[in-house]
Amino acid sequence: MMDEQTIIYIGAASFVALFVMFIAPSLGEFGFAAVILAILTIVLVFIINYADFVIFPIVTTIFGIKIMPASGYIIPKSANAVVKYVNGIYYATGYLTANIYNYVFSAESVDETENIKLGESLDKWERIVMSAGFPFRFNIISVAEDVQKYRDELEGKRGVLEVQLSKEMSSSNPNQLTIQDLQRKMNVLDARINRLSGGERPIDALMYIDTTAVGVSEKEAMDSLTNQLNHLQTLFNSFDLSITRVVGREVFHLFTFNYSLPEATTLRTIFSSQR
Amino acid sequence: MPVSQRFLFAIFLIIAFTLVGVDYLLPIDPAVKFLLVLAALAFDILAFSTKLYMDFFIPFLKMKGRTVVIDTDEPFRMAPSNNAIVVRKGADIFASAFVTIPTYRSATEMNQDEKIDFARLFSRALTLTKLPVKFGAQLYVINKDEYINNIKRKLDEAEERYQTLSISKTASKSESERIRGEVTMWHNLFESVNKVKSQALEAYAMTTAQGGTEEEAINLALQQADEIAAGISAIFGVQANIVEGADILRFIEPDYMIPFVTVSEQMRGAEVGQQQAV
Repeated sequence: MMDEQTIIYIGAASFVALFVMFIAPSLGEFGFAAVILAILTIVLVFIINYADFVIFPIVTTIFGIKIMPASGYIIPKSANAVVKYVNGIYYATGYLTANIYNYVFSAESVDETENIKLGESLDKWERIVMSAGFPFRFNIISVAEDVQKYRDELEGKRGVLEVQLSKEMSSSNPNQLTIQDLQRKMNVLDARINRLSGGERPIDALMYIDTTAVGVSEKEAMDSLTNQLNHLQTLFNSFDLSITRVVGREVFHLFTFNYSLPEATTLRTIFSSQR
Repeated sequence: MPVSQRFLFAIFLIIAFTLVGVDYLLPIDPAVKFLLVLAALAFDILAFSTKLYMDFFIPFLKMKGRTVVIDTDEPFRMAPSNNAIVVRKGADIFASAFVTIPTYRSATEMNQDEKIDFARLFSRALTLTKLPVKFGAQLYVINKDEYINNIKRKLDEAEERYQTLSISKTASKSESERIRGEVTMWHNLFESVNKVKSQALEAYAMTTAQGGTEEEAINLALQQADEIAAGISAIFGVQANIVEGADILRFIEPDYMIPFVTVSEQMRGAEVGQQQAV
């Protein structure tokens, strides 16, 4: 779902491109090319918005651009790690996304397997720690939300589901699968509302894993890092997660999170899709 | 949305609109009009890019060679009180403090209900404060240098005693056997410590505060850290403390996560790992 800021940015950028299409007939023989370029601009805007992790490394790799986020640190042109050079040794740090949200927070699926999953998660975590064999860090950045606002939001959603359910049940040919699905969604919302009543605060959270590898050359450290990240990916698969390596501008942001965390509003914008 | 980002977005968008407007209103040559359209679309993309790439814009324009320099300063400075770090981003001053979360129990010694309760306690800890908090669990390499030196010293002492005893004519057989056993014990310990990698798991929380001055930011960060430490202590029933001195570096600097003296050991481990993968 698009947030307000994204809608404004995409809307404004598309408006300029549409304006170009509108004046294209006055460009004579260049009119057709202008229309094509305007369409490509809109496409590029969407690609940047949804897949900048593809665009960013492509640009840095093609032009051989390195980024220096701070003294002593370099993000190489592949834009997938932060490298520090100290005492003749290269330390390469890489990141993986790791959203285990379902295990603790949002799986209020009143389903009984939730408790089993919660119990198993501790054993799985200890197994991962024992089999890793190299340093790594699991990070959760959390921001508590406004309880009342969140509660209102949940009750609003529940109201919509209730209307849909009564509509489906009163129809001449009610679909049992739709009814079950709506009831399941309502149970999830009820469980969340109950947890709020029990004193829990809703949170926005960003979860990621980082690991550091060493080498006597940048290449050796980067190769080692890739092996470690692949190994962590395999280990964390026991949590049934989709873990991906972080590339592009996010590497820079995660590097800065080591030293200072951004304010709540910035984090909420980043985390809106993980709620 | 930061003011600078909004400002740059507006500037680029106004330029793009102006160029297309000029195209529309003025009777100029179609080829020139087309060039203006190209420029307008380029500014349009630049305007949109400010949403994601604001931090890179100015450094990109000032780029020397092929390196985009975002900051030439160290990423942080240690606070004079030695219990927080200070980060400067332009005119903004931030301070971050760290709290250790000691855990003394393992899942292997818990029953199913205890495991579920522990996971729920963890969930509660995440909602301790309204401010952003980073919770981390890190597996790091222990610097065994001091420990190994200690064992080596004991081994040398035991060997010296054994040699003195061997040349002494008054020494009893049982005393000689005992010292020899001691030498073997220290020798075995020395060998085994060198062979295995020693790692430790540590959980921590990090909080950041912004202030008008360095002192204000540090005080606010420490105040927040105190609140978190009190909350964690209450939830888990452990003594959570604010991290001080060089221990902070272990959470933020890669060369403290893997101390220099353990690098060769780490590289050996990586080679073995690669061979196993092959």
